[in-house]
Amino acid sequence: MPSPQLVGFEHRVIVGIADLAVTNNRSATLTTYSLGSCLAVAIYDPVIRCGGLLHAMLPDSSIDPVKAAKQPGMFIETGVAALFRAAYQFGAEKMRMRIAVAGGGQIMDNSGFFNIGKRNYEALMALFQKHGLRVAAEQVGGLVNRTVYLNVASGEVRLKVSGQASETVLLCGI
Amino acid sequence: MRHLDDYLDKVSNLPPAPRVLTELLTLLGRDDVDSEKIVSIIALDPGLTASVLQLANSALLAAARPAEELSEAVARLGFNQVFQLVAALVGGSGMAPPQPGYGIDSGELWRHSVTVAVAAQLVAEEVGDAPAIVYTAALLHDIGKIVLSETLVQSYAALVADTEQQQLPLIEAERRVLGTDHAEIGGRLLTRWKMPAGVVAAVTYHHAPQEAGTHARLAAHVYVGNMLAHMMGYGCGHVPFAIHGRSEAMRILGLGEESLPKFMIATFEKLGFVEALFGAVSKSKAAKR
Repeated sequence: MPSPQLVGFEHRVIVGIADLAVTNNRSATLTTYSLGSCLAVAIYDPVIRCGGLLHAMLPDSSIDPVKAAKQPGMFIETGVAALFRAAYQFGAEKMRMRIAVAGGGQIMDNSGFFNIGKRNYEALMALFQKHGLRVAAEQVGGLVNRTVYLNVASGEVRLKVSGQASETVLLCGI
Repeated sequence: MRHLDDYLDKVSNLPPAPRVLTELLTLLGRDDVDSEKIVSIIALDPGLTASVLQLANSALLAAARPAEELSEAVARLGFNQVFQLVAALVGGSGMAPPQPGYGIDSGELWRHSVTVAVAAQLVAEEVGDAPAIVYTAALLHDIGKIVLSETLVQSYAALVADTEQQQLPLIEAERRVLGTDHAEIGGRLLTRWKMPAGVVAAVTYHHAPQEAGTHARLAAHVYVGNMLAHMMGYGCGHVPFAIHGRSEAMRILGLGEESLPKFMIATFEKLGFVEALFGAVSKSKAAKR
């Protein structure tokens, strides 16, 4: 008897906190849960259908350079660099990348003590500007927790927001 | 407005008073910790005994030879980790079910509470405060949500609308809708449980530690632990970031702005321990069924 074919079978690859993953496996959906004030950066090269997802916790690696060397995904600056480098290994090209950003939840704080979400976002924007990268879609800040899904077959990026029953599309697939 | 005790009397899924936790807390507070006594308290509860053995033999701490006796498991884990486990089990029972009034899924409140406890304890150790009481207060800080969740199922829409449209912290929205809030109810419940006054005050004021009087320092620990967990995505519910920033908490503990990222990294390193605890708790629950 022939083995059954798994049609439409989707591999949900979980990207943990302070981690990243890149793949050209079209059955994969890269997923990262509950961002808090962390930022998810999803990149996708539609020509070679290669996608990557980063779940970065803190803005800048000067906080702990030793940690950054071991776990680059922890920080925006080292994480984004590692994410793009890994995608280039698959033949992705910088200028073809479609970029989506989500997360950076922020409590009601004027003191500046608890503004990690805001600082993460500012660090990311400064980095993108320096490298001439544009963000295609983003949903950041606010009082909610977000979960992000990147479908590698289409490049579609979906969001699940805490307290909302259904997922929404952040960036359409192509 | 309903009287505070009405909420406590009418709730159907309230966890029982964790007597073993209070006893252990007292034992650990002494200068010379009596390990035999600790073992004998735990041995009274077969579920706890199984969980302590399981944690001692978990992948996280796996030794070449598994611990077979409770005393050996306690010796391997150390009092601190044993206490963390026991607290997570007995204080945390009742935190595992979903709390629909807050939009909290199964296991979420427990994970949040333990992460807050682990983070708060790291800060306490760093600044030289007694870790066990900080851990306990932090673990129990949201216990009032279990009490209020049933009531909030009806009025939840109004609550979220208040927080989002008027940029109100969740705790203030609770007060508008219910006439009380999860911190106040939690404190009241812990008073009934005869928890130490510091734990009661820290839970009651965990969103406004500067108002906790002589227990402001303990309350500040819980507040900062709560912030660390939220920022790392270990929050829970619909609008987890609807919280007022309290820089006073940082000042009370003498912490600078740059200490938070450092504590986030330290907490991250402990997440494996949180998951191992969660495994031990889940298994003990499954065994009881």
